[in-house]
Amino acid sequence: MKLRFILALWVARLVMFASRISGRGKGSALPGRVALKIYPGLLRELGRQVRRGIIIVTGTNGKTTTNNMIAGVLEGAGYSLVLNREGANLITGVTSAFIKVAGLSGRINRDYACLEVDEASFPGVVREVAPSIVVVTNFFRDQLDRYGELDKTIALVRDALASLGGICLVLNADDPLVAQLGRVTGKTAVYYGLAEHGGVTRTGSAAREAKFCPFCGVELSYRYYHYSQLGRYSCSGCGFARPEVDVEGVEPGAEQLAISCQVRFRRGDRHSLSIPVSGLYNLYNGLAACSVGLLLDIEIDGIIFSLSGYRPATGRMEKFIYLGKTVLLNLVKNPTGFNEGLSALLSVPAGRVNVLIAINDNDADGRDISWLWDVDFEVLEHSSGKFSGFVCTGRRAWDMAVRLKYAGVPGTCITVLEDFGDAVRAALEGTGEMSYFLATYTALWPVERILSGYAQREKLQPENIPSVSRSVKSVR
Amino acid sequence: MALARRCHWRGIDVSVCQVSLGDRVDFKEADFLFLGGGSDREQNLMAGDLAARSDLLREAIDGGLVVLAICGGYQLLGKYYLTLEGKKIPGLDILDLFTEGGNKRLIGNVAVEVDIEGTVYKLVGFENHSGRTFLGDLQPLGRVLAGHGNNGRDGFEGARYKNVFCSYLHGPLLPKNSVLADYLITLALKRRGWQGELAPLDDSFEKTAVSTMLQRIL
Repeated sequence: MKLRFILALWVARLVMFASRISGRGKGSALPGRVALKIYPGLLRELGRQVRRGIIIVTGTNGKTTTNNMIAGVLEGAGYSLVLNREGANLITGVTSAFIKVAGLSGRINRDYACLEVDEASFPGVVREVAPSIVVVTNFFRDQLDRYGELDKTIALVRDALASLGGICLVLNADDPLVAQLGRVTGKTAVYYGLAEHGGVTRTGSAAREAKFCPFCGVELSYRYYHYSQLGRYSCSGCGFARPEVDVEGVEPGAEQLAISCQVRFRRGDRHSLSIPVSGLYNLYNGLAACSVGLLLDIEIDGIIFSLSGYRPATGRMEKFIYLGKTVLLNLVKNPTGFNEGLSALLSVPAGRVNVLIAINDNDADGRDISWLWDVDFEVLEHSSGKFSGFVCTGRRAWDMAVRLKYAGVPGTCITVLEDFGDAVRAALEGTGEMSYFLATYTALWPVERILSGYAQREKLQPENIPSVSRSVKSVR
Repeated sequence: MALARRCHWRGIDVSVCQVSLGDRVDFKEADFLFLGGGSDREQNLMAGDLAARSDLLREAIDGGLVVLAICGGYQLLGKYYLTLEGKKIPGLDILDLFTEGGNKRLIGNVAVEVDIEGTVYKLVGFENHSGRTFLGDLQPLGRVLAGHGNNGRDGFEGARYKNVFCSYLHGPLLPKNSVLADYLITLALKRRGWQGELAPLDDSFEKTAVSTMLQRIL
């Protein structure tokens, strides 16, 4: 038994080394896959050595960002981690993350494991590693499951959560599909959410999920919406409503490439939070990380300081500089994420923007691209002054062009260049004051590679870190 | 949405009504009805609502109402849906067709050959359905060139009855396949007594999107 364990570990380490040397792939899922083939109990044996606890993040959008923010908070507090940083979130990727930090004899010398786990893989992963905290970000229809699969996904997560002992849930209170998990599983739960602010809407979009109460089926009524089904909801049938929030973001604001809010705790105190990323939706990820930090008894000033130095992972609003102009690269994988990306784009104050949209339809992207029609590109129709042009690229570049055209973007503003290199060059040379690149999963890596050949990846400058600093903390 | 845009580009006024459960609809007043698919739960809700007014719908269809029914909407217009467990869910019984549940979902890109007013066109789309639909005394919409179509066996895709067009193709179907979209608009205008030709539009994005996919799968 012990021999197979060691063999699995060493072979996986060899695979990891080889794929890094050859530069093929990111080498993140393969070592885990190989290791589990040799010794299926590997993840369990590695996982149980983690000293203080295992934190799992699941949900549709924001997993990678939330997990990395939590990791930043824990590392900032001096803890050592197991972490699947780049979004390899199936059981194989999780296993790889453990293998990467394991000693030659299979020893894991780490305080915490921060794991982002795909919703469908969640039951399988928690059978092997027992989490003490599970964060659920949100549930949206993904491009891979157009019809009704969302209900099944939620049921998978729900049943797996119910089977776990001694866990605390960290739940998005604004999403009824997530918030229901507290009541339905009966587990201890901490809720985070955004308070009402100037940007909320009174009417929901037609395509939103969760029109009906998950408990009794009566149509949910909303006082306001943040986006999609996120907002302040209640059910007239059974009384299900947005739970009282433990960690709430109030007065959110978007500055040049940073977002901020006041974090208000249930007990009443408030703290200023600022995170150097675009997109108001990233506040949810930050609030989730705050909640986890507080659960683990980390000082609030330390949490806020760590979040103010957050660096996005590849394609999560990653920032580049090309000839003095900013280029943002963002992964898009489902309608809600794409809508969030578009609203971040529209809130950029810097004049006109060159937009590149890269759409592939490989398995990892979703072979069915009809989800593009659930994205609210119509918001672009009345903001034509914000754009210098759209470059469409990837295997489904022409479909993307058709989509923009039907959203009311003039055909003369749309260029189709199927080749990624041509498209990236054309977009960078656009007349706008900045560029904004959106890419599906398998289009992200080639676009990122080509882009980093032309543009400088932004290093976070300490003087750019807004608001909170160490000195403030030491004064207190 | 695609129809509204294409009308709008030609200066034809269109209003789109989103109809929810229980809302009043006058099918005779409408020019065009779209029946989409959804999750099983949503599908059941919609079926129940439409069943209560199937007579009105049948009357309007016989009067030439232009209908596009996709996936679940297509199945719903038929006689019944026989689930894998052997349960027979009645349809609206407006079209002579029935559907049987299948084990394996039929998923992927599809190309079909469709005859529109004597000219043959190739349409593309994406299918994702577990139901296998079989036509009785009814014209198919077209012949499958690549993909599965109605049931993966007889080589047919969709159904056509009067001005009702049924299909498993989404993707969605109309924007890219602009020929079909314009045909539906023409039929709807004809029903209102309009005779003439639609003004041509620049469909180069649409046509290239279709031909790129045809090259890939044929």
